[in-house]
Amino acid sequence: MIKIQLVDDEPNILKALKRLLKAQGWEVDAYDNVDDALGGLLAHDYAVIVSDYLMPAVDGVTYLQFAKQRRPDAMRLVLTAHGDRQSVIKAINQAEVYRYLTKPWNDYEIVAAIQSAVELHQLVRENHRLLQTVATQKAMLQAREQELQRLEAEHPGITQVLRDTEGSILVGDDS
Amino acid sequence: MSGDPIMTDVPNSPADDTALNEQLERVNRQLLQSEKMAAIGQLAAGVAHEINNPIGYVYSNLQSLDRYLVDMFRLTDAIGSASTQEELEELKQSIDYEFLRGDLEDLVAESREGIERVKTIITTLMDFTHADEEEFKLADIHWGINTTLSVINNEIKYKAEVVKDFGDLPLVSCIISQINQVILNLLANAAHSIEGFGKIIVRTRHESNYVVIDVEDTGKGISQEHINKVFDPFFTTKPIGEGTGLGLSLSFSIVEKHNGRIDVTSTPGKGTCFRIILPIGTSDTGRCS
Repeated sequence: MIKIQLVDDEPNILKALKRLLKAQGWEVDAYDNVDDALGGLLAHDYAVIVSDYLMPAVDGVTYLQFAKQRRPDAMRLVLTAHGDRQSVIKAINQAEVYRYLTKPWNDYEIVAAIQSAVELHQLVRENHRLLQTVATQKAMLQAREQELQRLEAEHPGITQVLRDTEGSILVGDDS
Repeated sequence: MSGDPIMTDVPNSPADDTALNEQLERVNRQLLQSEKMAAIGQLAAGVAHEINNPIGYVYSNLQSLDRYLVDMFRLTDAIGSASTQEELEELKQSIDYEFLRGDLEDLVAESREGIERVKTIITTLMDFTHADEEEFKLADIHWGINTTLSVINNEIKYKAEVVKDFGDLPLVSCIISQINQVILNLLANAAHSIEGFGKIIVRTRHESNYVVIDVEDTGKGISQEHINKVFDPFFTTKPIGEGTGLGLSLSFSIVEKHNGRIDVTSTPGKGTCFRIILPIGTSDTGRCS
């Protein structure tokens, strides 16, 4: 199941978002402080993290930077009532956020942004998986190649097939 | 802000004291007004944040309510058309009626709380700005401090814990909106001086014919070379464009107009304390207009 993490110091925001996102069939974990949210990152593999910007102690962008280190694949979104230029620049340059959304929001905007983040996350995951498949298959091929080379070294010509001018296979010690 | 020249039409004759004084008075009033506007401008950003949060979840809740109602109406419509009780039960199950019922109550309660918060913010903002009759009246200093605190709360709450240490104060004859502005200035300065998270203490006490208001912070303090200049007009250590350098100088003139005093003590690295001493008694000697 796709897991979404929400971080906001305002409990009523978290409840409103949960109402909205659970209806989409996502599993939603809500945290009203950064410490618990950091703990949550260790325990769960989130596809998307949505964080407030202005919070006591640590701001949302700093939190998302931590999140980026712990869960580099999780897509990071900011949802804030404080959209000034400075915070937007910080969010993009430092936390590499996928979307910067503002409060008050339209439900469909949030859902569409998360939906598209989830798709991208799955794409990245799929990419990792395919890369791994390629790597294992490459390793297998390499092992075979080595075996062939070893045989060739031991019995020169054994890996070659000899044919005469009409295409028939020649079997014999001397070619 | 208007086209009034500040320096150019000073009367030539130095003997013309009244004209000079009048002009000084007028410029002073303009400064006071523009500093007030600047303060309100800075507040606006903070207030927007404070309002956008409740509006955000109330608005979202309304959209959720919209979806819930669709389900509820499906059920109520089915009462007439369903042939069996089981059919109704099934529908009830499929829309998760029990959850809807419980969540609807929460949704309405939370939304009401949000709207009430917006209402409170607007009311305090009105209290803060509207009470600007330029007249001395008996006023409750604590009410003024509390109003100012709730107006600037959003700027402070991420920087400092505010500790209120209030004594028993009598009503004080003052222009409360101007005293509020002084308090606002001191609180904003205190918050700006704090790096990381600190503490701001607002202390009041009553002493014979005076009330004493302290605004103390655990900020970075004011250096020895700067402390004598803090009340000078246009003195600021902030980068160009961030501070007008007028906050404290206007605070000084407001307090002076009230026949009071404002002092500062500071230890670099430890914090700063501004002290306002206001006479309680009626005073109209320093009336503005």
